[in-house]
Amino acid sequence: MAAIELDDLAKEYSGGVTALQGIDLEVREGEIFGFLGPNGAGKSTTINILLDFVRPSGGSARVLGLDTQEDTQKVRRRTGVLPEGYTVYSRLTGRQHVEFVIESKAVDDAADEILERVGIEDAADRKAGDYSKGMKQRLALGMALVGDPDLLILDEPSTGLDPSGVQDVRKIVNEEANRGTTVFFSSHILSQVEAVCDRVGILRKGELVAVDTVEGLRDAAGAEARLRITVGEYDADDVAAVRALDGVSEVQQRDGELIVSVADGTKTSVLTTLEDRGVSIADFETEEASLEELFLSYTNEAVEA
Amino acid sequence: MSWAAVAKKDFKDALRSRAIWAISVVFILLSVVIAYIYGSFSADELGVEGGITAEGLVFFLASNITLFVSITALVIAYKSIAGERESGSLKILLSLPHTRRDVLVGKILGRGAVLAIPVVVALAIGAAVGSALIGAVAVQALLALLVVSLLFTFAYVSVIVGLSAMTESTTRASMLTIGFFVLFEFLWGIVSVGIVWASNGFSIPNTFPDWIFVVNQVPPSGAYTTFLYALVPGQTGNAADIDAFYGTPWLGAVVLLFWLAVPAAIGYWRFSKADL
Repeated sequence: MAAIELDDLAKEYSGGVTALQGIDLEVREGEIFGFLGPNGAGKSTTINILLDFVRPSGGSARVLGLDTQEDTQKVRRRTGVLPEGYTVYSRLTGRQHVEFVIESKAVDDAADEILERVGIEDAADRKAGDYSKGMKQRLALGMALVGDPDLLILDEPSTGLDPSGVQDVRKIVNEEANRGTTVFFSSHILSQVEAVCDRVGILRKGELVAVDTVEGLRDAAGAEARLRITVGEYDADDVAAVRALDGVSEVQQRDGELIVSVADGTKTSVLTTLEDRGVSIADFETEEASLEELFLSYTNEAVEA
Repeated sequence: MSWAAVAKKDFKDALRSRAIWAISVVFILLSVVIAYIYGSFSADELGVEGGITAEGLVFFLASNITLFVSITALVIAYKSIAGERESGSLKILLSLPHTRRDVLVGKILGRGAVLAIPVVVALAIGAAVGSALIGAVAVQALLALLVVSLLFTFAYVSVIVGLSAMTESTTRASMLTIGFFVLFEFLWGIVSVGIVWASNGFSIPNTFPDWIFVVNQVPPSGAYTTFLYALVPGQTGNAADIDAFYGTPWLGAVVLLFWLAVPAAIGYWRFSKADL
């Protein structure tokens, strides 16, 4: 059974704003799935539909085999959520927040253990309204962990966290995944997803443009490299000759340099072609395209065009 | 029993609000002052009919309740749902195993309980002071006052929470709830006369029709006082003057139950369909 199953999921808000245009996605049980996309791509809308905060205008969403609209309460009982754009109850203490979740889920977790796991045990009895942004985020993460949920939904979990906080989130995500929890993790920052996720889905303007493992994406990105060649004198014919080679997709000219986008395995033919035509090569280096660039190419129209 | 967890949290949360404590203390003191005045002066001095009686004390105390409950309910509940929607704390509440109905019911019960505490305390102290000064205790009348006041409290909170559930903006929630308060607690006398005037061919008749009694029971505080007449022995209020099936103080109970249920039901209906 899939932990999350989206079938042609669409959402048009009243007022005509289309947030999702037909998303198909299956998140497997036990995996850490990174849901990537720039702000406004529809990540939060998708998560809000999973939690029945927002009702889809087309298609369906199932969580842990349950319909999000029919079995809302069952879904929420088995899911831990770190929502986006929430606020805490400023007059209640951190401990009271966690206790409220424990009571709401009818489980017998120890509030202290939860608070310790997210590193705010020292502030347990202070009003959450006085917490820093990072502490509030830690508290919300702690609340999501209550009751050992089968599915953790973390919407932009790194918001407001310092680097050590981000690292703690990563550690907790891994711990949860090792217990068999499925983690659905949204972010607009690739590096946060790259390090922890088994698979990644990239959302752009309400459409899922890629779903793959991180390695798969990296392979796709690494399939092309950039060859930076420091050359002596050359003319337009030399450039045309390189451009005509199989596996070369682009040649850029910068002062004294040729930057050639090239498939793996055709680098040598680029160099020999230039040498054969009498262009002197002073130096060359290869750069692999990063996952970041790939992510940008998926999410940024300018690059794609 | 998911609403119970919501109610409990809401109750704890509200108890930490200093404003509620301050307004409650003022109300309790006012109740003592009112009881003292009723017990210390003569009927002529106070201008009340029928002399100073233990039952009369009940209506004196009740007049304090209507003002306090209506204003305080508005203050503590107008943001109950709209405010959580606006700030996003509702996302925390609803990512837990609570349905939207649990949230609405929990809010009504939690905030109602917060308001019920000062009401009970004020009634108890006011009744003790007044009864001691008068030298008589009207047990049945005081119990009636307690029951009707609690119903009134929860009905008022229910109205305000129901209105709060209709919108995602606290500004609009405040306009709706203040509008309700002004229309039903301040302007209703004018509305009532206006209805008679309009139904009489746009002139004021010499004697008002009987059915105006029903119109006058529409405001929750009017219904509250009328219902009190049904339960206090030896009192009928002006319902007895009306020779129709609706000429009974129990009409007040019907109206209070209406306010308890209907606005909350409409609020729930809107809330349950909304994209949050």
